[in-house]
Amino acid sequence: MNSSSRNTVILLVIVGFLTVSPVIMLLFGSFSRGLSVSGAFTLDKYIAAYTDPDLGEIINNTVIFVFGSSLLATLLALFLSYLNNRTDITWKFLFRIISITPMMIPHILFSVSWVLLLNPSNGIFNLILKQLFGLKNSLFNIYSLGGMILVEGLLDMPIAYLIIAPAMASFDVNLEESSRVCGANTLQTLIRITLPVLRPAILAAFILCIVRCMASFAVPSVIGMPGRIYVLATHIYRTISIGFAIDYGKAAAIGMSVLVISVILIIIYRYLTAESEKYVTISSRGYRPAVIELKRAKVPLFFVLGLLLFILIVLPVLVLVYTSLVPYSMIPSSRALSMMNLNHWREVLKDPISILSLKNSIFLGIFGATIGIILSIFVAYTIVRIKTRTSGILESLSFLSFSFPGIVIGVGFMWFFVRTPIYATIWALLIGYIATYIPYGIRPLSSAFIQIHKHLEESSRVFGAKPLTTMRRIIVPLLIPGITSGWILMATMFLRELSLSVVLARPGSEVMAVQILRFASDGLWGRLSALGIIMIVISTSLVALVTFIGIKLKP
Amino acid sequence: MEIQIKELSKYYYTDGKIIKALDNINIKIPGKRICTLLGPSGCGKTTLLRCIVGLEKPDSGEIKIGDEVVWCNKKGINIPTEKRGLAMVFQTYAIWPHMNVYNNIAYPLQIKNFPKEEIYKRVKKILNFVKLDGFEKRLATNISGGQQQRVALARALIAEPKVILFDEPLSNLDAKLREETRKELRNFLSELKITAAYVTHDQIEALALSDVIAVMNSGYIVEVGSPRQIYFNTTHQFVADFIGRANLIKAIVKSQKKDKTIVDSEIGTFICQKRDFPVESKVILCIRPEFIYLKEDNYSGEGNIITGIIENLVFVGETCEGEMSIGNKRLMIKIESESSLKKGDVVNFVVSSDHCLLVSD
Ligand SMILES: Nc1ncnc2c1ncn2[C@@H]1O[C@H](COP(=O)(O)OP(=O)(O)OP(=O)(O)O)[C@@H](O)[C@H]1O
Ligand SMILES: [Mg+2]
Repeated sequence: MNSSSRNTVILLVIVGFLTVSPVIMLLFGSFSRGLSVSGAFTLDKYIAAYTDPDLGEIINNTVIFVFGSSLLATLLALFLSYLNNRTDITWKFLFRIISITPMMIPHILFSVSWVLLLNPSNGIFNLILKQLFGLKNSLFNIYSLGGMILVEGLLDMPIAYLIIAPAMASFDVNLEESSRVCGANTLQTLIRITLPVLRPAILAAFILCIVRCMASFAVPSVIGMPGRIYVLATHIYRTISIGFAIDYGKAAAIGMSVLVISVILIIIYRYLTAESEKYVTISSRGYRPAVIELKRAKVPLFFVLGLLLFILIVLPVLVLVYTSLVPYSMIPSSRALSMMNLNHWREVLKDPISILSLKNSIFLGIFGATIGIILSIFVAYTIVRIKTRTSGILESLSFLSFSFPGIVIGVGFMWFFVRTPIYATIWALLIGYIATYIPYGIRPLSSAFIQIHKHLEESSRVFGAKPLTTMRRIIVPLLIPGITSGWILMATMFLRELSLSVVLARPGSEVMAVQILRFASDGLWGRLSALGIIMIVISTSLVALVTFIGIKLKP
Repeated sequence: MEIQIKELSKYYYTDGKIIKALDNINIKIPGKRICTLLGPSGCGKTTLLRCIVGLEKPDSGEIKIGDEVVWCNKKGINIPTEKRGLAMVFQTYAIWPHMNVYNNIAYPLQIKNFPKEEIYKRVKKILNFVKLDGFEKRLATNISGGQQQRVALARALIAEPKVILFDEPLSNLDAKLREETRKELRNFLSELKITAAYVTHDQIEALALSDVIAVMNSGYIVEVGSPRQIYFNTTHQFVADFIGRANLIKAIVKSQKKDKTIVDSEIGTFICQKRDFPVESKVILCIRPEFIYLKEDNYSGEGNIITGIIENLVFVGETCEGEMSIGNKRLMIKIESESSLKKGDVVNFVVSSDHCLLVSD
């Protein structure tokens, strides 16, 4: 065995261990009697889990929630991509902002800000409406399936956008133009040509959204649970953390089916993206396609775009800042202004658990992302450059973990760690994070390696032996963007990680998102907002710093 | 149906610069003929076609199709593409990948809500016409380039348009297939008797296919004429140089005879085709290499005789191409491939006065 294939095997073992072992634990655990994995074989857990009288309603909720929000996210993304690529709307840079900001604002904070706005008892927006129109009851109730769908749909829209927009951009406009020449108007062309040609990309986006929504924990826990609307993710959470009948086996039995569905969906997703690339035929005309003139529709559409931008980015931050300053929920007014103070901030900064969670999260973000990216470099290199059967397995494995719902895989990890000394330490979280989020590091690095591959071959062929120069001038500059974006992606995800952490975090290894969830369930909105703002500031400055370093390092 | 274009201009603004893609174009594309727009890359052919079909908005001018004004800046008329009732074959064919061959072809009729049986009959007929019988169910992405080209043609023909526009429809085919398809296309179009505007930068394609050729250069139309006129009797240096190849020689008009013009050139005195240039004016003498013949020993005609030294000769199959020098001037020549001439030989050539073209300097 030569050294490169030995290294491939070593990597396969590491990645396989990280992705497969929690799944195996989950499987064993679901068939095991008692609390541990190694108990006697039993089907009791499955029987208990699937005969639960609540399950029907929970599945019903899950289906409505998942489909509703995926549909909303995909439609919004489709609308935005079309607006960006096919029309003469002004200020197109706004679309880029819409597609990258979700990295800055953690899902749990976004959900919280909507609760603060639209909860039926003292949501700010509801209070304003009551005052304006002299209403008795609140107009909106965020604690509903509709509310959950709205928030989750907005959160997942950028993911769908990142899939649909490139497909739309590389679409051969001649296909549309020839339809118009054949006598079809803009609308007919959109329905009969544009959308069908984009169908694989649209479906891929939709399916990825479904996987994300099934795994989503922030929205169901912050918005669903107070309204007693349980979906599978929160049902699993409730089974393992609330009340006296904690039952990990039952949670695993439910988790298995969530996992299986997710894996199947992610395989379909992969097939669809390959399919959509087949459809892409870039026009031979080198110019940007002639865009549709919006004319009178321009101003209203621009208004819609601005509203989305406001809702997605400005509003949540504003609400959090405001809530962190006022003593209790009240309508913004001069009275509110006069009562503003920094009490919540002081309390958070005095709270030892909040400080600990802050430290833990920063450590996990910086250190975890660094380890994760180093592993990703090796894995990406192996996948791209060493094309063997083993490296193929490696690729599939790292891809599959895209589909793993954090809370389900968390249960698997819990069993895995429980007998080891790292149980209930921050290291358990570190390993779990890396295992779950490694695809986000591998992705940008593989595309960097694909580029280097070509350049390296060409230059070494042309210039002969100058490996050091090649290294300095070609490999490093090409790898840096991949490393930077992979690192940023991982660090921001680790900083705000919730669904895996709610299972693995124990006293002493709390992280920010878990602490925020705790504040939310205690109704301590002021402190929550203060901590949330700190979280946003940290991740934003990390992103800014690393982007800056990335630019500086480019020779 | 004829197409009339008056004072049409189209500008693009990129990086603060203005590109005049179309610069005051005037042309009448005759009805029921094949008219080619021929010109080098980037001269505005595609832009002109797209203006006609309505996919591009001109900055000024007027376009009339038949009796209907479809675009007029002054009157604010702009009939949208879908209402112009034209047909177009795109360079990339623009075959819809999500539909089979049948639906691709039937599309224009489906849009116009034709009854199903009528559509079926027409598609059958047209498939037979373009020799694609039995291809109905095939996915459009699973057929060859030549077949795609015919699907695109069938789709353009099915609604029986009065005018059909082609944008370099053969440029994606390989050389052999291109030649075959060109002949087929010529047959199709003359059989159907419809107006066709055909864009190409391939002069052979233009000469072989068209009834009328309009030669374009950087946004304006240089010359319009039949293929023979353009080839044999052009009055423009650009056209002489662009169509085929031409030796361009500086000359001065010496005298005007009844049906000939005599010039003094860098390489001697030539009797040329009659052109109305004033005596002593500067002109360019154009001689195509293929009209420079070897002088036979017993030659007694009135052609111009050139004596030169062979500089090089390359065997290219059907002929030998090369250069000869007369003093400092070099001329391209083309002689039969079995000739035994070699470098350094001093040879006499003849050029008939009909093949000596004069164009303005
Ligand atoms: N969308 C555009 N934006 C800017 N410039 C353009 C645009 N479209 C065309 N041009 C410019 O207009 C001129 C004419 O372009 P056009 O595509 O009509 O050329 P063409 O004659 O069809 O060339 P080819 O034979 O290469 O297809 C070129 O100089 C081109 O650079
Ligand atoms: Mg063109």
